[in-house]
Amino acid sequence: MTVGGLSVGLAKAPARRSRRIPPYVYLLIAVGALAVVSTVRVFTGATDLTSSGTVQAALTAAVPLAMAALGGVWTERAGVVNIGLEGMMVLGTFGAGYAGYQWGPWAGVVFGLILGLVAGLLHAVATVTFGVDHIVSGVAINLLAPGIALFLSKLYFADAPGGGQKQSPRLEDAAKVTLPGFSDLMGTIETKRWFFVSDLAGVLRGLTTQVSLLTLLAVVLIVATAWVLWRTPFGLRLRSCGESPSAAESLGVNVYKYKYLAVTASGAFAGLGGAFLAVSSGQFRDGQTAGRGFIGLAAMIFGNWRPGGLATGAGLFGYTDAMALRSADAVHALLLLLGIALIVVAAIQYRSGHYVLSGVAAAIGVLFGWWFFASDEVPPELVGAAPYVVTLLVLGLASQRLRPPKFVGEPYRRGQAV
Amino acid sequence: MALGLTLAACGSKNDSTTGGTSGTPSAGKPASNLKIGLAYDIGGRGDQSFNDSAARGLDKAKSEFGFDIKELEAAAGETDAQKEDRLRQLAEGGYNTVIAVGFAYATALEKTAKDYPDVKFAIIDSADPKVDNVANLTFAEQEGSFLVGVAAALKSKTGNVGFIGGVNVPLIQKFEVGFAAGVKAVKADATVQVKYLTQPPDFTGFNDPAKGETAAKGMYDAGADIVYAAAGGSGNGVFKTAKANGKFGIGVDSDQYNLPALADVKDVIITSMIKEVDVAVYDFISSVKDAKFAKGEKVYDLKAGGIDYSTSGGKIDDIKTKVDEYKAKIVSGEIKVPSTK
Repeated sequence: MTVGGLSVGLAKAPARRSRRIPPYVYLLIAVGALAVVSTVRVFTGATDLTSSGTVQAALTAAVPLAMAALGGVWTERAGVVNIGLEGMMVLGTFGAGYAGYQWGPWAGVVFGLILGLVAGLLHAVATVTFGVDHIVSGVAINLLAPGIALFLSKLYFADAPGGGQKQSPRLEDAAKVTLPGFSDLMGTIETKRWFFVSDLAGVLRGLTTQVSLLTLLAVVLIVATAWVLWRTPFGLRLRSCGESPSAAESLGVNVYKYKYLAVTASGAFAGLGGAFLAVSSGQFRDGQTAGRGFIGLAAMIFGNWRPGGLATGAGLFGYTDAMALRSADAVHALLLLLGIALIVVAAIQYRSGHYVLSGVAAAIGVLFGWWFFASDEVPPELVGAAPYVVTLLVLGLASQRLRPPKFVGEPYRRGQAV
Repeated sequence: MALGLTLAACGSKNDSTTGGTSGTPSAGKPASNLKIGLAYDIGGRGDQSFNDSAARGLDKAKSEFGFDIKELEAAAGETDAQKEDRLRQLAEGGYNTVIAVGFAYATALEKTAKDYPDVKFAIIDSADPKVDNVANLTFAEQEGSFLVGVAAALKSKTGNVGFIGGVNVPLIQKFEVGFAAGVKAVKADATVQVKYLTQPPDFTGFNDPAKGETAAKGMYDAGADIVYAAAGGSGNGVFKTAKANGKFGIGVDSDQYNLPALADVKDVIITSMIKEVDVAVYDFISSVKDAKFAKGEKVYDLKAGGIDYSTSGGKIDDIKTKVDEYKAKIVSGEIKVPSTK
């Protein structure tokens, strides 16, 4: 069977990626984007657009979302929809609270991961073995998990020193690292407020100062997922279960096994996301996830079911979320930035022949530009919506060629013909 | 049966003369058969803050009077209909004294109270609904916030302080307005940065330390050195950031310096705006017990001792006399603290 699986991997590999975008193009895009942001920063004076503090906050906010999204990639690539990510995240926060206050942050991370994994296994049993509708099972987990977490928290935290019925005692944060020397140098350049150079320094400083080891772990996991799912025979077989399980089975892939692995792994990632959230906020609280699992799921969809895409989506959301919480000026400047971004999107879509889409993007872009010049600030009632609006518009209009795995969400029985 | 005995004993202990002459619309003989129902706000018992304070008042009343008590918890993101169900459940269950903790119950209580005219209701933090059998227990949070604003302005080295509100609702705006007024009273040119973590109907801003941390970091980066957190559980994130950056914070609702949950960050809490919800709850229960129920708004302010500021930790001992001067002026009415923008 292994040999059969391997041959699938080998036979398909050369045919892939005829029009792969070379890495330097991504670099150029990044430089161009930063130049635009820098221009807006100079023009509006909203230094928080590229300050190291914003970048740091964005990273912290993005990590739990990215972990949930990564869980989504694993499960959906194997053909199982998992909207139970939110619930699995809740269990992760509880696990981190329970083990974290007793044995330190890393025990919390491991325990959160295990609880998420157990919930993932439950989802796998329901959807793969018993063929329960994926949405129904996911919703059940979302309803069940907060109840379990609350019950356990009343049981274990109510009498713990510093705990309460709905919150754990304080957790120690994971260690944070700073690139010595470099961070200070960048800090000096950042305060000069030079065009582009200071902005680049701000971003680099944010990425190298007080970075939690948890964040580094998340980056490693995203890269590792990309490698495992797209560069190994194991990953190819796993993805084949999401594209065409009958074909995979006919070639000797044990579809049930791969689905089980993928869904369980997805629960573990979501649990990890919850654990990151609890450890970095210093405690478990009831209702702490506040829909982050669902946002992660959205980041995965906008990210076209790929690790790079979901990292971009989570990063964009984290960035705007950090901005909305930090500075009202920056949110106002964001209007202009969003306007420019949408017009760029419009130009790209026009070149690819999507005229209607291009028109819509251009119209909304002009509208935001007009809004920027016609107002002095964004009403505070709307500031909180900024992350959702920005992520939706930019990713929604930029990536129109979303392609979910072909067999995702469909029940699959062993031996069935399609 | 032991309970019944205690109740009878309590009832006979009251002097019924005051009860008879109080002239309140509901005056009658002192109640000895009280059953008390209490509906918590989001967070519930164990939130180390607002709800716990209400719970303390309830516990005190229970240990002194020994009434039959039922407590019901709220869930995050629930509707008015669910809140109404909770209140009705208590009223239907024979609980003739019902306390709704939090302004979020206002709409639900208006509907419920009218259907149960014999039940005495109280709502905390809301001047609505105005119904004959509802007592509205409100606090002059702006006055306490004014005092911690004074303390912040006196202690700030940068002349730049911050206010973080959990959710942008009129109740929390009272904290902001009072705080800003206090700061400006000392230093007219001081900067007050203001941020609300979420907008209604999203109430997660009271329960998201990660958001509090991000917002506070932004304020400290922008030059603030003291941030007042009127954000429930999200305040924990504010204090965490303060500690990590060598800055300071101000607590809310209870004396947060002394909360075990905040023991490792207490060094940064220079003072807290204290709101004696427990006093209000206890007073209300004993007023019903003594048949002195009074409908309408009862304001717990600085003068009445329902609001105060804390000095635990000794961080503001050097300026305490100055803050107390302002306190005396507010109590005497010389300073009128605004409560709306």
